[in-house]
Amino acid sequence: MTLQECYTALGGDYDEVLGRLRSESLVQKFVLKFPADPSYDMLQTALAAQDWAEAFRGAHTIKGVCQNLSFTTLYRSSSLLCEALREGHPPQDPALAGQVTADYRATLSAIQAYQTQLPV
Amino acid sequence: MNVFKNKTTRFLTASLVAVVLLCVCVFSFLAFHMSQVSTQTINQVGTLYMSNMSQQISMHFGTTISLRLDQLDAIVTTTSPQSFQGYDQMCQELSYQASVRNFECLGLYSSDGVFEMLYGSQITVSDPEPFLESLKNGEKKVAIGTDPNGEKIILLGIPTTYPMGNGSSSTALVAGLPAAYISDTLSLEENDDHVYSFILRRDGSFVIRNANTYRNSYFERVRMLYSDVGGKSPETYLIELQQAMDAHQDYSTESVIDGDQRHIYLTDLPYSEWYLLTTMPYSTMNSIVSGLSRQWGYTALLGGAVLLAALLFVFSRYFKLTRQQMEELDRAWRDADAATKAKSEFLSNMSHDIRTPMNAIVGMTAIATANIDDRDQVQNCLKKITLSSKHLLGLINDVLDMSKIESGKMTLSMDQISLREVLESIVSIVQPQIRIKNQQFHVSIHDISTENVYCDSVRLNQVLLNLLSNAIKFTPEGGSVTVTLYEEPSPRGDEYIRIHLSVKDTGIGMSPEFKEKIFDSFAREDNTRVHRTEGTGLGMAITKYIVDAMQGTIELDSEPGQGTEFRVTLDLEKASTPEQEMILPEWNMLVVDDDQLLCESAVTSLRSIGIRADWSQDGESAIKKILQRREKQDPFQIILLDWKLPGIDGIETARRIRHTLASEVPILLISAYDWSEIEEDAKSAGINGFISKPLFKSTLYHSLKQYAGHTEAEPDPSQQAVDLSGKRVLLAEDNELNWEIASELLSSLGLSLDWAENGQICLDMFQKSAPGYYDAILMDIRMPVMTGYEATRAIRALDRPDAGLPIIAMTADAFAEDVKKALDAGMDSHVAKPIDIREVSRLLKRLMQE
Repeated sequence: MTLQECYTALGGDYDEVLGRLRSESLVQKFVLKFPADPSYDMLQTALAAQDWAEAFRGAHTIKGVCQNLSFTTLYRSSSLLCEALREGHPPQDPALAGQVTADYRATLSAIQAYQTQLPV
Repeated sequence: MNVFKNKTTRFLTASLVAVVLLCVCVFSFLAFHMSQVSTQTINQVGTLYMSNMSQQISMHFGTTISLRLDQLDAIVTTTSPQSFQGYDQMCQELSYQASVRNFECLGLYSSDGVFEMLYGSQITVSDPEPFLESLKNGEKKVAIGTDPNGEKIILLGIPTTYPMGNGSSSTALVAGLPAAYISDTLSLEENDDHVYSFILRRDGSFVIRNANTYRNSYFERVRMLYSDVGGKSPETYLIELQQAMDAHQDYSTESVIDGDQRHIYLTDLPYSEWYLLTTMPYSTMNSIVSGLSRQWGYTALLGGAVLLAALLFVFSRYFKLTRQQMEELDRAWRDADAATKAKSEFLSNMSHDIRTPMNAIVGMTAIATANIDDRDQVQNCLKKITLSSKHLLGLINDVLDMSKIESGKMTLSMDQISLREVLESIVSIVQPQIRIKNQQFHVSIHDISTENVYCDSVRLNQVLLNLLSNAIKFTPEGGSVTVTLYEEPSPRGDEYIRIHLSVKDTGIGMSPEFKEKIFDSFAREDNTRVHRTEGTGLGMAITKYIVDAMQGTIELDSEPGQGTEFRVTLDLEKASTPEQEMILPEWNMLVVDDDQLLCESAVTSLRSIGIRADWSQDGESAIKKILQRREKQDPFQIILLDWKLPGIDGIETARRIRHTLASEVPILLISAYDWSEIEEDAKSAGINGFISKPLFKSTLYHSLKQYAGHTEAEPDPSQQAVDLSGKRVLLAEDNELNWEIASELLSSLGLSLDWAENGQICLDMFQKSAPGYYDAILMDIRMPVMTGYEATRAIRALDRPDAGLPIIAMTADAFAEDVKKALDAGMDSHVAKPIDIREVSRLLKRLMQE
């Protein structure tokens, strides 16, 4: 599995990210760091605690990271959630948070699949 | 409405007539009443006057008679019978005494009524009984008598006893006075005949009468002459008169003789059985008083007329005013009605217009679903759906714009724009439509001194696009559309430039009625030709509003079947940045275009960038010019050719230049059209390149620069000035992964970066650093503890020489309000995530240079 295939699997734009970061090794480096990013946990904790302002920041950060890495699918769902949480309102559509979770898991599993077959 | 108007008119007319009638009645009554009152007044005045006068006369009579009686009395007193020796001596003395007192005669009156005259002629008493009776009773008395000639004599008697010639004693001494004496003394006959008096006895016979009276009895006179006495018959009057005589009362009334009204007053006279009757005709007083009352009447009538006129005037004004108001009301009602109609019509049109593309979307989606495996079919459907969606979006955008405008929420965001870019982008947008309709398209600019101005480019584009797409829409195939732009000094000052934009077509034009309401909301030319054309009808209203908001004007000339021209005039502020110095080598250049204005303008622009340029209006004369210049050893070095030329077109001209003249001179084709279709043809004809109209100075400069020898683009002067390597940047970002990516990218620019994990840390680090240590800060907005906005405000508030260092916001939100908020917080600029290294580098360079 190439990095490009991994991007296809997680619904990202490989060409775009390569255009910005310019080297495949750099892209790989940051992609592999993504699972360790705390934003998702922060979002989940805040949603559970119904702290909508904090949840907004979490969603916002995920969105920012996804923009940087061109993870298009997760960017979209996190962006929608982010807008729903803006102004500190609880999200009107509970499915939005579920979508973020689903997309996050898909992204994570694609990265893990890519990671496991890398030569150690 | 009309019924109401008629009602009002009727009411007003009726009340006017009523008021006029009332006025006439009131004033007539007043006049009548006044004349009545004045008649009464005359009567009163007459009675007063007459009674006074009669009393005067009566008193005068009394005084005169008593004076005479006193004289007589004095004679009697001084002449006592005992003092005389004889009867003769006594008679002599009495006669002497009487004659010196001007008595006409004197006599002794015996108890049997016989006169013994002492002197004067023999007297006969006319009515001796009462006279004798009174004298016997010892009363002084006056009576009338006659002398032998028939002359009337007034007799005054005093009872006294004198011896008489016949031996008896007298009862009284009687002296006579002529009747004229009384009438003269009493002035019974006034000279002017206005007032005259009679002295009557109780039986109506005259004692003294005036010259006009020839009857013996007043009663007879009354019966004969008087037709009416104070509203009574003469007989009644006479009875009343006699009753008054019997009662010794004054009596007054009016009488009419020969239509002449007169006042009559009766009073009795002392020392006698007589009555004084005074008559005064009214004619004199009447004429005075009736003159007064006539005057009064005239004045009243005049007053009435004036009042009436004033009333009429006020009425007519009021009437006019009411009519005007009603007309206004009517108009307002019609306007409101028309607006409502326009809106509901618009709603139904819009619903129809929206339904059409919506139907297409629904239908195409259904077809695509049915043919999901037929790739071509699906693609075709999707294409149509895209088109319909775009159309739908356009409609909805218009409606939204309009509602924004109607609620006053549309604002302009002024920014520096380039007129060249605006026009170029518009031209490229409309080119496909022009090509589809096979229309001629001209873009002409001239007198452009300033290309960069401040304006809302989005709204300016909208205006141009509206005008142009209308022109294209309403111009049939083969027609022509012309865009013209020129500048002139603005009346608003040197910082401004006035631009004139005109969009002209040879389309269907508009009716004069439609021209009136073209800029109204929801208007669309309502005829069958136009019904086929889609659109909301809001475009022109939006255009007008935008131009108004830019404080410009929009005018329109249109003739049905001839075409339409819209002219927009705007005063725009000149951009403050100096325009790039544009100088090219001193080439000889030829511009060939059939539009003289364009040629002249292009030549002026070319000269201003250092080129010696000439122009020509068609292909043949251009070739001639080229030949002439070659013979003079001063050939053209670059040639600009319009594509569409009269006679031989641009491509053919180029071909001839290449083949006939065997010249290698660069030839560039200028055109407002999309040249992709003719590109191959043009290249094979020997054309070296294309320049898109309009020909701004900068357009010419950038297109021609490559022929100046150095083809590589000039490096941006700012890039040379600032080298980013070694610069120190503080980066505030709460997410580690984002920080790493940013750090990785920015390090490649040679920057050295420090990481602050939130706004508070960023502020602390900046505070602890030596002034000038950091060259810039990149600031994330959403951070825990302290946001980017707060951190920026805190930094700006610090008392440090470098507190104003460049701070650039980084945010994942590309909303305009976020950008505005960042700038409000004191940040210098804004970059959107994901970070674009070129953008960041450009910004940093620019800000650091400042």
